Amino acid sequence: MEQDAHLVQQCLQGDGSAWEELVRRHSRRIFNVCYRFVGNRTEAEDISQEVFLRVYKTLGSYRSAHGGFATWMTSVTRNLLIDHYRRTKRDRLTDSLDDAMPVVENKESVARRPDEQALLGELSGQVESALTKLSPELREAVILRDLQQLEYAEIQQVLGVPEGTVKSRINRGRIELARLLQQMGVRPS
Amino acid sequence: MTWTCDQVEARLSDYFDGLLAGAEKAAFEKHEQECAQCGPLVASVKSLVSEMRAMAQVEVPPRLVYTVLDQTLGPRETVTGWKAFLNFIRGLASPKFAYGAASVMATFVILLGASGFSWRKPKLADLSPTNVYLNADRQIHLGKARAVKYLSDLRVVYEIQSRLRQDQNELQSAPEETRPKPTPEKDPGETDDHSRVPPRQQNRANEMARQLEMLAADWPLICERSHR
Repeated sequence: MEQDAHLVQQCLQGDGSAWEELVRRHSRRIFNVCYRFVGNRTEAEDISQEVFLRVYKTLGSYRSAHGGFATWMTSVTRNLLIDHYRRTKRDRLTDSLDDAMPVVENKESVARRPDEQALLGELSGQVESALTKLSPELREAVILRDLQQLEYAEIQQVLGVPEGTVKSRINRGRIELARLLQQMGVRPS
Repeated sequence: MTWTCDQVEARLSDYFDGLLAGAEKAAFEKHEQECAQCGPLVASVKSLVSEMRAMAQVEVPPRLVYTVLDQTLGPRETVTGWKAFLNFIRGLASPKFAYGAASVMATFVILLGASGFSWRKPKLADLSPTNVYLNADRQIHLGKARAVKYLSDLRVVYEIQSRLRQDQNELQSAPEETRPKPTPEKDPGETDDHSRVPPRQQNRANEMARQLEMLAADWPLICERSHR
């Protein structure tokens, strides 16, 4: 945490290698948050790039007194993910209308690529698939708590909502996810 | 204290986080055991949470870091010397590359072993292409010879078995009088031969008689050759 703050200071003084170190340290976590949220590697990669560009441009606004750099970066990521969700909402509505009609091209475009399918274990794949069906509020809460394993206080900071709301969203998210998996025929191990 | 399904659902995460104690915990567990809907739900959520916590992180596409650096710091300068080497090594430090390298090494070791390379007494000469070829050729021929011997042994065994079976069938189908009859009441070790000659001496005598017969038959030919 202190190392991140030190690297940020170096970055602000124009040290390119410090920025490179920050990117390398956080790329895995940011990419994973994005991937779990959107469920697609290409989109996750694009959003991760956007996150780092935004962080680079707004690095001067980061105050270590307000919390860790990782939490601040996660907040930026979350905001961009919500923007992306709103942007693509119209496309998804159109998609769902198209899905109602039997058009072969649309079904093929929705299907996962074979390498993506192989990447996921069977159960992990079902969990990921079910995650993308949750509402964004519940999805982000579950991702941050159960996949990124953040503390409630960190999640509260990222989402900008009271701790009670965070707990309630995580709880509802887990229950909805379990019900979705039950509907998909997944039995608890 | 008795809880409803709504109360159990609302406090599910608190239960997993260990925030329920005493009467609340007891009420939660009592309802979970008694309710046909909440029991499976609690089990599902518990399994789901442990599954999600165990889910592996997804590998980052390697180009992501370079694209971000190019877009923020500008195109990178070409690095040479030991820095380039360090960058190259850093690029190799990924689990996928480690698995690939390990499987290539395993294949290499298996192939070397098959070509007759000795790991206890390694010689540089064993690695020359000619020796590798000759050793591999030898191993292939040895393997082939072993396989042929095994198959021919199987054939011999099969032939013996079929011959025995044939003999047995013939014996069973033979008329009654030709079958060997069981000897009536004999003491253990007693034979039909009532002479006092022991069996080994009898065999030797039989052999000598057979040889004498053969000599007698060939005698005119031997005499003729000696005259010439």
